[in-house]
Amino acid sequence: MSMKNNTILRTERLHAHYILDVYGKAKVIKAVNDVDLAIQEDEIYGIAGESGCGKSTLLKALAAAVEPPLRIISGRVTYRIAGVEVDVSTLTQEEKRKLRMEYIAYVPQGSMSVLNPVSRIRNTYRDFIESHISVHQKGEAFALAKEHLTELGLPVKILDAYPHQLSGGMRQRVTIALATLLKPRIIIGDEPTTALDVVVQRGVVQLLKDVQAKLKNTIVLVTHDMGVHANIADRIGIMYAGKIVEEAPTEKIFSAPTHPYTHYLINSLPKFGDKSPRESVPGSPPSLANLPTGCPFHPRCPHVMDICKQEMPGYTQVASTHKVACWLVGEGTHGKAA
Amino acid sequence: MFLKRYLIPRLIQYVLVIVLGITAVFFIPRLLPNDPVLRTIAEMRARGAYLEPGAMDKIISDLQQMYGLEGSLWEQYLAFWGRLFRGDLGVSFFQFPTPVIDLIMTALPWTAGLLLTTTILGWVIGNLVGGFAGYYSNKQWSRVLDAIAMVVRPLPYYIFAFALLLIFAYYLRWFPISGGARLGMRPSWSWPFIQSVLWHSFLPAMSILVLSAAVWFQTMKLVVQNVNAESFVTYAKLSGVKEGRIVSRYVIRNALLPQITGLGLSLGLIFSGALITEIVYSYPGLGTLLYNAIINGDYNLIMGITVFSILAITTSVLIVDLIYPLFDPRIRYM
Repeated sequence: MSMKNNTILRTERLHAHYILDVYGKAKVIKAVNDVDLAIQEDEIYGIAGESGCGKSTLLKALAAAVEPPLRIISGRVTYRIAGVEVDVSTLTQEEKRKLRMEYIAYVPQGSMSVLNPVSRIRNTYRDFIESHISVHQKGEAFALAKEHLTELGLPVKILDAYPHQLSGGMRQRVTIALATLLKPRIIIGDEPTTALDVVVQRGVVQLLKDVQAKLKNTIVLVTHDMGVHANIADRIGIMYAGKIVEEAPTEKIFSAPTHPYTHYLINSLPKFGDKSPRESVPGSPPSLANLPTGCPFHPRCPHVMDICKQEMPGYTQVASTHKVACWLVGEGTHGKAA
Repeated sequence: MFLKRYLIPRLIQYVLVIVLGITAVFFIPRLLPNDPVLRTIAEMRARGAYLEPGAMDKIISDLQQMYGLEGSLWEQYLAFWGRLFRGDLGVSFFQFPTPVIDLIMTALPWTAGLLLTTTILGWVIGNLVGGFAGYYSNKQWSRVLDAIAMVVRPLPYYIFAFALLLIFAYYLRWFPISGGARLGMRPSWSWPFIQSVLWHSFLPAMSILVLSAAVWFQTMKLVVQNVNAESFVTYAKLSGVKEGRIVSRYVIRNALLPQITGLGLSLGLIFSGALITEIVYSYPGLGTLLYNAIINGDYNLIMGITVFSILAITTSVLIVDLIYPLFDPRIRYM
């Protein structure tokens, strides 16, 4: 570990639950359970896991967009802004609003309805820009938008289009361009390539990579698509039932997966030349409202032991940058993520 | 392309609907078992008038001419259209011999003035308040407004209108109990007349306004809550777009789309009058006219008013269809 603290986005023992009121009975959905993350500057961090494992909720917590019924039960999320670690729960609404896009930007899942359907792209750009920088002259926001699009190699004429007139891939590029317009230090991508075909996905991934290379900032990318992770992420955290069960640099995750769940995720990917049927994880992810005791993966795990059913293991460092929470590896410990 | 593929077929459809509607208006009274001519004669007899057989025949043929009942059904139908194109809707029998068109033209400004104002105001107020209440649905004031709307909206209109009349006109005597303007005043653009009209129309206007605003409020609130969950709103919020912009340009702007269609339809309904309002407040509009026409069996007048309302509804639907792309760019007529 280098002595210099490069951690820009950190969570410490973060628990975020949805507390719902179902006919007078409180129902708790434990979407994020005990997550320690230390995401570095100039890094692309991937979060992988099945649907319903709490990925999107974790992103909401990271983006400081926690609104009822979602609540932070314990733990904290900190940003390092200009060298100072700031607990996001201490920020006011207006401070958080200012940070969005300028410091931490959000790229949503590519879908039809991410851009306001009744206004031209240029007006969406204007709304976003003018909410953050005071524009003195008419057309200043427009000029800025044009310049940014040109820089990213996107056609300027799309500014005059309505969202429905653009292709899915182009809409997603427009969204990425919009999110990166104010040169944020952190970009949070929530399945930005999902719902796009593979060829377009490639272009979108490349655009994200280009932007990151230019801005030297941090991208936190959530997707269930291990192929995309392999393509773009420097480090990957595998999420299961609201917990990060394994975290390592991308090549380690693919070459030496340690957690049985990670094994399954990787083995389910198709490989060239290998025609044997792919194996998927048996069973389905547990309900976050009713988690099994101990390690939440134990009902689906082929190596389950007695201890797995009783207690959740801490993290074991299998290498300096590779940690895993599994009884097969050891009891492990919890601590501040490096 | 727009002209050939959309506008011309749409206009043909418009004309066709009008022709079919008016044809129905022509045929339905003729299928009724009672003959207006015989009915008039019977009424004259009941009043004790003695008629010579020759005079009787003359009266019958005169009445048939006035009702457009001469010749075969087909001849009557053609003659009906011919008169319609000349703007001749026949003469009224309950206010004999005033032409129907004159009666309608006298009543129309009253109804249009009252209903145009209340329909538009109710729409604007209901949607504006409903829009904000939907966006801030967690706030206390939004819940209070919701509760008020929930109580007001299911009130039967005639009871609500009558209650207003009783309280404010009969007991408190703040407003006149009936009429459209002070009796004996001649319609003009003078201030005393306008003042009198406003004063007389206040209660009927309020009765319509409150209920229609409550309906728009409730629908708008629901639509807004749906739009609020759309990903473009989430995205704008997560990008720190100022709240004012999100409410106005993202949420309300999109939620208004279905409401615009609703406004177009209710504007069309104006021209059949607000029957109950006008009866409760004895307001001299199309509703009262239609009511009198029905109870007096004045076929020409009923047909005249119906023709007007067919024209108004089809035209307002046509206008909404044609201007809709201005509000929703996704609608394209190719």
